Amino acid sequence: MIKIKKIMAAVLSIALVGAFTSCSGDEGASSESKSGNTSVSDSENKGGEKEENSGEDVTIKISWWGGDARHEATQNAINAFMEENENINVEVQFGAWDGWEDAMSTSLYAGTAPDINQINWNWISNYSADGSKFLDMNTMSEHFDLSNYSEEALNQCVVADELQAIPVAMTGRIFYWNKTAFENAGISVPTSLEELYAAGQTFKEVLGDDYYPLALGEYDRTILFIYYLESVYGKAWVEDGKLNYTAEEIATGLEFMNELEDKHVIPSIPTIIGDGAASLDKNPKWMEGKYAGIFEWDSSATKFASALNEGQEFVVGDYFKDFGKHQGGFTKVSLAFAISENTKHPEECAKLLEFLLNSEEGTAIMAAERGIPLSKSALKTCTDGGLLNEVVAEANSKVLEWAKFPLDTQFENSKLKGNPDGVYYDVFGGLSYDEYSVEKAAEILVEGVTEVLEG
Amino acid sequence: MNNVSNRRSPGKLYMFFRHNLGFLFILVWLIGFLVFRLYPFISSLIYSFSDFHLFNGTTEYGLMNYKEIFEDDKIMKSLSVTFKYTFITVPLKLAFALFIAMILNYKVKGVNLFRTAYYIPSILGGSVAIAVLWKALFRDDGLINSMLRIFGLEGINWLSDPKYALFIISLLRVWQFGSAMVLFLAALKGVPADLYEAATIDGASKPRQFFSITLPLITPVVFYNLVTQLCQAFQEFNGPYIITQGGPRNATTLFSLLIYKRAFQMNEMGMASAMAWVLFTIVTILSIIAFISQKYWVYYGDEK
Repeated sequence: MIKIKKIMAAVLSIALVGAFTSCSGDEGASSESKSGNTSVSDSENKGGEKEENSGEDVTIKISWWGGDARHEATQNAINAFMEENENINVEVQFGAWDGWEDAMSTSLYAGTAPDINQINWNWISNYSADGSKFLDMNTMSEHFDLSNYSEEALNQCVVADELQAIPVAMTGRIFYWNKTAFENAGISVPTSLEELYAAGQTFKEVLGDDYYPLALGEYDRTILFIYYLESVYGKAWVEDGKLNYTAEEIATGLEFMNELEDKHVIPSIPTIIGDGAASLDKNPKWMEGKYAGIFEWDSSATKFASALNEGQEFVVGDYFKDFGKHQGGFTKVSLAFAISENTKHPEECAKLLEFLLNSEEGTAIMAAERGIPLSKSALKTCTDGGLLNEVVAEANSKVLEWAKFPLDTQFENSKLKGNPDGVYYDVFGGLSYDEYSVEKAAEILVEGVTEVLEG
Repeated sequence: MNNVSNRRSPGKLYMFFRHNLGFLFILVWLIGFLVFRLYPFISSLIYSFSDFHLFNGTTEYGLMNYKEIFEDDKIMKSLSVTFKYTFITVPLKLAFALFIAMILNYKVKGVNLFRTAYYIPSILGGSVAIAVLWKALFRDDGLINSMLRIFGLEGINWLSDPKYALFIISLLRVWQFGSAMVLFLAALKGVPADLYEAATIDGASKPRQFFSITLPLITPVVFYNLVTQLCQAFQEFNGPYIITQGGPRNATTLFSLLIYKRAFQMNEMGMASAMAWVLFTIVTILSIIAFISQKYWVYYGDEK
């Protein structure tokens, strides 16, 4: 018995040591990638060379969210920048989007945000409406080449008469189809609403009840609904800070969404929630081709394409001309970079941004990881070097060519977009769960949007 | 004499600690308590009477947040969901923990292994990985529905049906009964064996022995578990945040989830603070009721 206990103790001790060593190994790896220790040690290794520099040694910090490919490209570009500017040490902070804004908004308020931040376009009006959080980039024009950007693009980031950020790319929603799934149903990808309705029935009859030509979550429905309304009525969703649609007009758009569900074009919200996936690109039904279409940001193409199981072809769709007499749909700045107002090294920050967004060397490494660049020089570098993803480039050109309506900065307000208690989720979830009639849903939407717009 | 009179008199702080040496020993804890506990506690109370927004500042002071809490349907629904969650979770968890503790109190072979196995969910339960696993188990084509289908039963929409979603979240917490179980186990071991012997000689059945001997003698632990589990249940956050995000149709939007959303997604710190204080008040009232009621049902051995 004693012998058994001794053996057990020895095995447990080894297991414990193993657990500790493997834990510490992981921790090392994550801290290296998360906190940018690689870059710090790089600069430390060059301690001897640093002394030769005439510039003062400074440390700046940059933050961004995204996926692995974006993390890798940005880190490589930053390392290249540090090799060129040995007196500037760059620390990095990055992660996935989930919960990112919650953390960043708090640090922006507390004044502890990194020197440079990747931001969403609406953060400017939400967090720095008076220009107190982000530096006016016009003051950095000596170090950052603003002539690379069109005035129209830069104006999107002007709030309180200050250019508070540099827009990186423009984006809009467009249809993407799993061409193979449509071929399995014996039809081609839809190019009109009529064909989409027909596809719904074909999918049901040929492939089965759980096959749909298109899948839309609550927020996707909101954007498609606005695209539909703008196509029918030819006016922006919000104009001069006021909702531009009556409850009756909104009701027609909501009826359209109900029709999509009734005609087996899109699965209901309960079905999508029941799939238990955090997002459509992580949904096994999208991967397998049971959901054969999405209405997504042009910049999200790679994410959805790579999620598909092998042997399935992912193609960019066309906007439907039979939605209405007008060209509906909107574009917005996909993301931007802003320098914190309280940074101690604004010039070094501007220099880093110039390297990442405009310089030939930096943009060749960054490529199109944040969408098709708005910077003329970056676009040239990416085009000449064949660095643009063909699908993303095709989608982006279609979006910019078609979608002309502007987007109000309050469109993504958390009271509207919040999941599951935001107004959009309430309205489109309530419709799909048959809790709301079209009239009731229209009333809630008008009330909710107006309340947010009136502040 | 001159030397003595020229010497600097010791500082007030030095004299204070000299006479109250205990304070010096707890100084680190005291500073932590003042900065990280007392300050947020008081400042949140002050914020709760304002419309403090992180980026719009404060424009108004008054009772408007408290008024809104009781007038807003979404907040009241969330409060009702939280009560439902608590009244499902706490009794189920205590009953389950006591039941398993009684089984593990028997001298059977390998009992220590079973005790460890049943305690493990308590260590893992709060983790993100388990919550993700839970979601995978209960999705439409997950393991649970697959098993139901083997027996010819129709799968249930656990995650998307508002009727079942709260139950799934509750089940995750009930599954983590280990810490309550360990306390029950210790209490059961403290029940004198001669009482059972005497009861057996008198012809008392096992259920009678449980209700007349075991349960009365372990009531202090039942009381302790009740109060701690009540506090935990009202503060539940991880499960609904990861598994359902509060959905479907707000069926699992527990109060703490709504406080988080108001504070960190909408940046309405005044409102979030008021909601936190309402939650604190509810837990306090329930705890006071439990404490007052204990003289009617909790038996302490040292009482006359």
